[in-house]
Parts: sequence; structure tokens; C-alpha cells
Amino acid sequence: MTRYLVRRLGQAVVVLFGVSVAVFSIIHLVPGDPVRLALGTRFNQQTYDALVARAGLDDPLIAQYVNWLGNAVRGDLGVSFRSGQPVTDLILERLPATMSLALAAIVVALLIALPLGLVSALRPRSAVDYVATFASQAGLSIPDFWLAIVAILLFSLTLGWLPSSGYVPLTDDPVEWARHLVLPAVVVGTVSGAILTRFVRSSALEALSQDYTRTARAKGLPARTVINRHVLRNALVPVITVTGIQLAYLLSGVVVVEVVFAWQGLGQLALQAVETRDYPLLQGAVLLFAVFFLVVNLIVDLIYAVVDPRISHR
Amino acid sequence: MRWPIRRALTVALGAALVAASACSDDDEGVPVDGAGGGGDFVAAISAQPDQLDPHQTTAYASFQVLENVYDTLVVPDPEDLTFEPALATEWETSDDGLTWTFTLRDDVTFHDGSEFDADDVVYTFRRIIDDELQNAYRFATVSDITAPDATTVEFELSEPTPNLLDHVGSYKGVAILPEGAADDLDLATEANGTGPFTLASSTASGITLEAFDDYWGDGPEVGSVEFQFISEPTTALTALETGEVHWTDNIPPQRVEELEGGSGVTVETVPSVDYWYMATNFAVPPFDQAEVREAIALALDREAIADAAQFGLATVNQTAIPEDSFWYHDYAPYERDVDAAQQLLDDAGVSDVTMGLMVTDEYPETVEVAQVIAANLGEIGITVDIQTEQFSTWLDRQGQGDFDAFMLGWLGNLDPYGYYHSQHICDGENNYQGYCDPETDQLLDDAATEEDEDARKQLYDEAAERIVDANSYIYLYNPSVVQGWGEDVEGYEIRADRAINFETVSLS
Repeated sequence: MTRYLVRRLGQAVVVLFGVSVAVFSIIHLVPGDPVRLALGTRFNQQTYDALVARAGLDDPLIAQYVNWLGNAVRGDLGVSFRSGQPVTDLILERLPATMSLALAAIVVALLIALPLGLVSALRPRSAVDYVATFASQAGLSIPDFWLAIVAILLFSLTLGWLPSSGYVPLTDDPVEWARHLVLPAVVVGTVSGAILTRFVRSSALEALSQDYTRTARAKGLPARTVINRHVLRNALVPVITVTGIQLAYLLSGVVVVEVVFAWQGLGQLALQAVETRDYPLLQGAVLLFAVFFLVVNLIVDLIYAVVDPRISHR
Repeated sequence: MRWPIRRALTVALGAALVAASACSDDDEGVPVDGAGGGGDFVAAISAQPDQLDPHQTTAYASFQVLENVYDTLVVPDPEDLTFEPALATEWETSDDGLTWTFTLRDDVTFHDGSEFDADDVVYTFRRIIDDELQNAYRFATVSDITAPDATTVEFELSEPTPNLLDHVGSYKGVAILPEGAADDLDLATEANGTGPFTLASSTASGITLEAFDDYWGDGPEVGSVEFQFISEPTTALTALETGEVHWTDNIPPQRVEELEGGSGVTVETVPSVDYWYMATNFAVPPFDQAEVREAIALALDREAIADAAQFGLATVNQTAIPEDSFWYHDYAPYERDVDAAQQLLDDAGVSDVTMGLMVTDEYPETVEVAQVIAANLGEIGITVDIQTEQFSTWLDRQGQGDFDAFMLGWLGNLDPYGYYHSQHICDGENNYQGYCDPETDQLLDDAATEEDEDARKQLYDEAAERIVDANSYIYLYNPSVVQGWGEDVEGYEIRADRAINFETVSLS
């Protein structure tokens, strides 16, 4: 187990290094000059030159990268061009909002997907199955920003049950945190839930048709035991994988929903970094997203071992 | 085959609830305590300020906050945008126009309790000039700044600069900092001004200001101002309608008419000092021909363009400066005439023209307006190829002269120098279209140093006519400022220069 972890961590470092090289190359290949953008339409050569020199953009690219990498391994991701604040501060400040939304949305998604997918699988071609299939298709097809705006107009403006927008830190006021979280989490969770429902249904169906399920039934086990011990456990493995991918995806920010709900998460931060060509901020954000995927994948692999004893990490 | 469902559901829900209980987070919050007084005012602005150093930021969102925290020597009067006293009580110009002497208030303290004096003013402008910050270009004619005594500041100029007041007071980008502020504070996140509010906290989810008790002016009335960042207009308006916020400038323009008809919120509009225009590249045939540019100007349906831009809220204008300004010049030679435009093209021997029109989704109204322009010019046989670019790419192409035509706007100018000079003088830094006319140059250069206001206006009027006649810019419209506030808000004044000041606002 320890050896496995060490090996995985070693791989993670290599992947992160690769990601940093790729990101650095790509963002410098993309047209657009951050200093020119910061100046906007009002151009002045002297100011421009001063800003370029201050940002270190007049160094050769290799030197810029080596310099950045040297600082990054010591935990210093540099200073945002645009805001003049350390990249790590900007990211850490928004991490709680993004974590709240991503985790709450995954919970909503599972609350939708597990019951709906299982029922569909247990009663294939029944009314429930058709409704569930239709609902998940609809959930996939409806644009999330539209769902978000409708939710705000209905629950906030018309009914007045929930606040329309904004994020309140959990440590400030847990009740307000939850009230502000409900609408965005339900909107994001509905879309993820629609994706997950289809996976739950198909993997449960597959487990139901396996030989071991037939054998378990044949030797006279009660139906609930067959479902709980044999069908569910086996059906969960692919579902855990997809849930992990969904979670990592949500942790890297859901830009559109964040914009509509004025939710100050990482998605908006990364979007602004792209728009303003804020190289240090963009590099830091993408690196963090890579870390999310690596960590979530590692956790998923470890959960496999718990769910399925045949898998062991020697 | 039928399977029992109840138990399976329980297991599934159980799994989900375990996940739910594992969901917690460890964010650090900044407690916000209202400073009493006249209540806590909440404003929704459409973006988060990028940083709070007034001399380094270029973002409008930053200035919405900084307007309430810092002061300048003079400020634009809300009515006609001429300059009135702020930290400076009076000023005079020497006979040769080369020395400006400002007298300062002696009853002003910074938020940290230190006293404001002339050394702070010298420090502020030295910082902008010596560090070559955004606004250094405004002080190109300033050769020296001195403080003869604690309440006097002298600007020595290399040539007369009649618009110096504009340079030292048009917006908070030239705000006065206490001496040594750049070393003592992290100005990107901290502030120490002389304005009506102090900066209490700044996070990704909002900025909170608190009333400054020792403010030299009358206000403020409210105890605190919280800025929330809501970029989606529908959300911002909903927050205003539900009373979650008291004020916003992020209102969908298509809903203004409905809201003005009484709906629990007050919505006001005023033509802004901004203008939007189209320019063609003088270096690319056939746009180097005056007839072709004139044909374009004649073919445009400016009313339709203004409608497309802001749902009828924009004001058509064939020059840059809006009607309410002292510097407005009533000159509108182009009346839509498709036949005359066609005739001009035929006379010039031009046919089968394709014009690339560069617009940017950074300013969605350029994308909307481009459709109208394309339809208008299609009528005279000019095929418009609308090129929607990311703003960074757009600026690159503009800088390299890689365009047939583009549409953009200029925001926040008050003085005609800002409206016309660098855009239309031959080697002007913002003259991307390549217009060059010695007589216009002469007029603009004379106007830049003319001390007499009326004579100066006369020069700019003449220059503007030449610019419009040559279609250096094809001016389109002045957009409106649109702001809304709740019925419990009193004393707020909407301004053409988009400065938002909550000093006089109170909550009932």
C-alpha cells in the first residue's frame, strides 16, 4: 500500500511537470498581449515598456519558465499581472466557495442519480424507467444557465424563499451559507445527476444480468440480499469512477453557473485570467485543476479497493 | 424479473447522505460589522475590482469602489462636468500659463489619522510620473511640482496646459495618496485615502467600506457600503427587486422601459460621456478614398444602430462629445441617403468591395451593431465580413494595422483634448486608422495650449468638423448610463461620467 502511494505520488509529480510545460507553452502561443490588454484602448509606449519590464515579460521564454518553476516548487506561484496580488492568495480565497459548490452539487447529483438509476434498472421498460430516462435526457439537454435563471426568478423573485446570488462563508454564518448554496448546488447537481443516472442504470443492469447474480438467486438468497451484496457492490465500481471525474470537473469551476449566481469561485477566476492573459494566475489555476484530478483519481482508486476486494494495491 | 425497490433505495440514499455529511469546508471568513450610523448600504456592481491601487488599475469596477475612498484635487461637477474644488479650494494660473498654483484645504485627515498637506500632493504626482504609471502621459508637460508651504502646491509646466484640471481631477486614477503610501501599504489590497468611506475588508465575494467619521465633507449618511459583484444582469436586477441590494448599475437595457413604469425600484438613465464609433483603415484601398468613407457614413442608419446597441437608450451623435457637455458642438452633416452613397461609390469607380469589420465580444454591443452596419452597407454593394475577435487579439490587430475597419468606443473623457487629440493627430498614439491632415494637426495643437476657454472651444469645433468631414472616425452614438435603486434609497445622484458616489446616500 505504501509503495503504491509512493509510486502514485511520483507519477503525479511527473504529470504536474508535464502540465506546467504544456500550459506555459500554450498560453504564450495564444495571441494576445497581457500588457496591451491591461492598458486597454489608451496606448502609450513609455507606460507599455515600463509595464513589460516590471512583469518580466522582456526575458526569454525559457528564462521566464525556469524562473517560474523555481519559485513554484517553493510554493510561490508568482504575482498576478492584473491584480498585483500573489496567485496563491487569489486561489485560496476562492477555494472554499468552489469546494462548497462542488461537494454540495455532487451530493445533489447522487441523491438524484442513485435512486433514479437503480429503480430504472430494477424495473426496466416500466413507467418509472421511461420517466427516469426522459428526465436524465432532459437534464443533459437543458442549458445550465437557463435553469439557473429560471431558478432565480422562481425561488428568489416570485416565491422569495431563497437569496438570488452570492456566497457567504460557512464560518461566517452556516445558515446563510446553506441558503445561498441551495440554488446553485441544485442547478449544477441536476446536470451532473442526469449524467450519473445513466451510468447507475446501465451498470446496475449489467450487474443484474451477470452469472453471479443468477447464481445467487438460484441458490435461494432473498432478493434484497442479492441486490445489496451482489448487484449494488458491483454496480458501484464504474459509478464511483464517473462520480470522481464529475467531482474533479466541478472543482475546476462551473463558469456559467458561477457567473449567473455571482458565485465567486475558481471558474470565474480562471476565465478572467484567460481573458486578460494573466499568465501567472492562469498557470497557477490550471496547475491546481491538475492537482484536483490527480487527487480525486487517487481517492477513487483507493475506494475501489474497499468496494471490490479483488482489487488490491500491491 | 421484478426486484424489491424499497431496500435498494434506502441503501442508495444512505450512501448519498454519508457523502453529504462528509461535505464540509474550512473557509476563513471576514466578519462584517456595520458601523451603525444610517444603516448598511449594499451596491451590486458587475465585476470584481482587479486591484485597489488607484494609480495602477484600469478597471471601472475598481474606480466604482475607489470613488468613495479617495479624493482628488478637483472633481467634475455632476451637472455640467466642469471642475469644482475638492482637496484644492482654489487655483490660479500665471500670465504665461506656465505656473499653476493650487491652494489646499487645511482640515483634511487621512483614514489613518495623519494630516493631509502639500507634501502628499507632490508625492502622489511624483509617483505617477517617476514610476511611469498608467496616467504618466497626462503630465507630459509638467516639469516640476513643489510645495512652497503646507497648503500650497505649484505645477511648473513646459508649455501652457489649459486642461490641467482634467488631468488632476477627472477621475480617481489621479487620487491623492499620503506620502510614502506605496512603501507603507500594499496598495493593491489596502487603502488610506481622505474620502467619505474607509476600506474595511476586501474579499472575492465583496468589498466593505465603513463611514469615515473625520471626513472633511458633509457625509456620509450611511454607516457602511458593501459592494457585491454580480455580473449577470438578470441576477443583479432580481437582487435589487428582492431588496437584497439597494443599488445596481447592472440592469438589462431591454427591461428599462418596463421598470420606469413604476415597479418598486427607481431606474434612471442619462447620456454618458462615452462614445462609440467606426473607423476604416486609411492605408487599405478603397478606404483611402474620401468618397468611399463618405459613402459609408451616408449609408449608415444611426437610429437603428443606436437601437441595436442599447434598446433605444443610446443617443445618436455625429461627433464625439455629448449634448450636455460645455464642449458639445452641434454638427451632423450626414443624413442617411442610400442613393447618394451609391452615387459616390460609382463616381469613385469602386464596386465589389468587401470590408472586414473587426469587433470584439468583450464589448457585445459592437457585435450587435456590426449586424446593422453589415445590412446598411450591403445596400450599397459593400459586403461586410464581420470578424469577432477576443479583445486581446483585437488590440493586437489594431496595433499592427491589420484591419479594414473596426468599431469601438472611448470611455470617460471629459476634456476635448481626451476626445480628439491622440486619436486624430498625424502621429497620435491612438490614431490607428491613419488619418493625417496638417490643418487638423494645427487646430489640435493650438487648442491644446489655448488658455481662453471660448477660443479653445472654437478651435476644437473646427477640428471636429474636419475630422467628421474626412470620416477619420465615423461617430455613431453616446450610450446612456443606466442605474437603479430601491425605494428606500434617498439622495443618490446619477452622473454622466459614471462616477458613483455614495457620500450623500441615505436609507429610509
